[in-house]
Amino acid sequence: MKRRTLVVLSVVLMLLASWTGAEAKIRVVTTIPDLADMAKNIGGDLLEIKSLATGVEDIHAVPMKPSFATILNRADVLLLVGLEVEHAFLPGLLEAARNPKILRDAPGYIDCSVYVTPLEVPTRLDRALGDQHPMGNPHINLDPVAGKAMARAMADGLTRNYPEYEATFKKNLAAYLQTLDTAIARWQREAAPLRGVKFVSYHPDMIYFAERFGMEAAGTIEIRAGIDPTPGHIAALEERMRREGIKLVVRERHYPASLAETIAQRTGAKLVDLPAMVGGVPEARDYVSFIDYNVRTMLKGVQGG
Amino acid sequence: MPLATPSLVPDMVLGMLGRCDEDVAEEKRMRSIAQVLIVGMVCLFSTQAFAQGTPGPTRTPDASAQQLRRDLEIMKEQMRQMEDKIRQQEEAIEKLSPPAAPPVAQPVPAPPAAGDREQLKQEVREEVLRDIQPQLSAASKTFPSQFNPAIGLILDNVFSYRQHEGNNFEFRAAELGLSASIDPFARGYAIITGSSDNGLSVEEAALVTTSLPYNLTVKGGRFFADFGRLSKFHDHDLPFVNRPVVLDRFVGGESRADGVEVSYLLPIEQYVTLTAGMYNKLGAENDRVDDTVPRDLGEFTYLGRAATFISLSDAHSVDIGATFAYTPRVKIDQSQDRYLAGIDITYRYVPLSQAAYRGLVWGTEVLFNRESRPVGGFPTDPTAPPPTDFKRNNAWGLYSYLEARLSRRFYPGFLFDYAQALDPGIGDTKAYSPYLTFWLSEFQRLRLQYTYVDQASTPQQSAHANQVFLQWTAILGSHVHGFRDR
Repeated sequence: MKRRTLVVLSVVLMLLASWTGAEAKIRVVTTIPDLADMAKNIGGDLLEIKSLATGVEDIHAVPMKPSFATILNRADVLLLVGLEVEHAFLPGLLEAARNPKILRDAPGYIDCSVYVTPLEVPTRLDRALGDQHPMGNPHINLDPVAGKAMARAMADGLTRNYPEYEATFKKNLAAYLQTLDTAIARWQREAAPLRGVKFVSYHPDMIYFAERFGMEAAGTIEIRAGIDPTPGHIAALEERMRREGIKLVVRERHYPASLAETIAQRTGAKLVDLPAMVGGVPEARDYVSFIDYNVRTMLKGVQGG
Repeated sequence: MPLATPSLVPDMVLGMLGRCDEDVAEEKRMRSIAQVLIVGMVCLFSTQAFAQGTPGPTRTPDASAQQLRRDLEIMKEQMRQMEDKIRQQEEAIEKLSPPAAPPVAQPVPAPPAAGDREQLKQEVREEVLRDIQPQLSAASKTFPSQFNPAIGLILDNVFSYRQHEGNNFEFRAAELGLSASIDPFARGYAIITGSSDNGLSVEEAALVTTSLPYNLTVKGGRFFADFGRLSKFHDHDLPFVNRPVVLDRFVGGESRADGVEVSYLLPIEQYVTLTAGMYNKLGAENDRVDDTVPRDLGEFTYLGRAATFISLSDAHSVDIGATFAYTPRVKIDQSQDRYLAGIDITYRYVPLSQAAYRGLVWGTEVLFNRESRPVGGFPTDPTAPPPTDFKRNNAWGLYSYLEARLSRRFYPGFLFDYAQALDPGIGDTKAYSPYLTFWLSEFQRLRLQYTYVDQASTPQQSAHANQVFLQWTAILGSHVHGFRDR
């Protein structure tokens, strides 16, 4: 009888230990998979990470699912890209999630853009200029150097919330930045043929990538950010492409293929399809392979093959 | 080239420090460049700060404050990068330097001591801060206005043709929305509407808690009670031109209510919310009782609602809700009680990678009403004697619509309406409405709808009517993608 009691007691204790062990993990919710991958590199086993977006979405149109509210309700910290890129779904979800720990300006609300110098900060805010982002172009995750700044902001944010793990975050961050530095040096070498290449994209979200690798974003299929094209705009765009010899059209994979294909065909340009986030294509498994995929795909578009 | 800005400054300071071993004149030149760049940065900051500070269609009221905070964060990061680079450069110099300096023909200035370098860094830092500080202070002067609520205005106009009635330009609403945080514990919002029907009215003005424990939220004031799905939508947010007949008739238009509501999100993985509410009455056009008349506890309306969300796959999902509203005593109905219950189901197909371009929504609500009503209805003539022949009457109705998203611009749909009359002795109503919504942008929309109404004929209205509507709706200024209107 005593032995049975002991066995039951030890099983209960083991269960309790495993339960408390599971509970000890910091519950991190990220808006996009890029941040989830960075968090995995910085926090390792300390974190239990969930991403709201899977990577195939348009970050401006991630569906506002109620199931996301329950995920956010249980989060200890929220990692977001920032610059209001999650404007279409995050404020509404935070309202529904009822978690004061991750509300805007709470310590658990970690904006990963704070160390990035935004491009295209509007000097005038007017809806006539499209769906503007008052704090600048928010598609920073496409630039690996901005990615480093995002990782640093993330590590600092996690340290603010969990100073007891500062050494771990710092050590992991240093290793991750080293990985990114090595990859960036490689990308800079590989992407040399992209320098000076003009291209047209569907949405103005390739600007950081273009700046990093010396390309020139020469126009968008959208009239302005978030505004679908009209026939007149397409005609003017095609005319400009012919005049300026623009031979590359980039379609972010969450935008319709047919129009981008038509424009490419009519202007004799090469069409490349690029993901805008980790997970956008099967090859983009993590942040490094995501940038890798984009650099290689862009190179194929420029060099042919 | 804004991207060059952060790297130029550290490189410049680095160069200044690296070469100061060789040439003080070079150092001075670099310092001048630094000053020019710093002034340039300050101008950039101030331009942005003032641009953000201008009242306009900003998404958040504190955009300027955030911009300044961001600028400061970037400054700090740049300072940190400068220090890192200086340190790395010093290390590199030390590694490259020969163990003993060879004799040189001409004497060079002695390298500054570590203390001098620190002093130089300190000077640069102070210079930056000294130049930036007045600009920050100037920008701060706009902060009081930044506490003003976010403001948005919605304009909703309809040109209508109604058989047996005629044509009309209907100014449906100019709806002013204000919203802001109140303090760390609550936020507030108000929707003030002007329309040709009702003049100026407060549609909503409510306080909502933001940091209650145990997943609780309390809402108080005037707001749209948590009854069903589309009752909580403002007219211009509906997927079609007119509110379904069953909602107009049973709820009384929008579910506007003066009262208090507590809602609870269950702390489980499955999304389930429970709501309890107590109101003067339910429905903006519910004329059973006036909002201004004091009443016994038994004359309030009490509401309970449960709602959940079932994810069938990444792209397919169903929202289900059930609501029950109970009024123990309705004076106008001979002080009998009233039940109003509803079930709402919304199926959505939203392909993740094409969410803005493809999709399908099927929404249905079924309502049931039970109360004592006069046979033949209340007299429309206010001077007529009050009715005496009341009967306990059950009535039900539903609407069901299917809407497809064919592109970012075109949303065709079809709405079916069915509603029995609340009063005994009056026939029911059916309506069929195909419609097409054309989104010029996220902020402007045109909608064309045809409606065929089949209803019980009365001296005031004929049995059948064709109706055509052309609606033009636009949003000015601040807008939010609220969870309620999803």
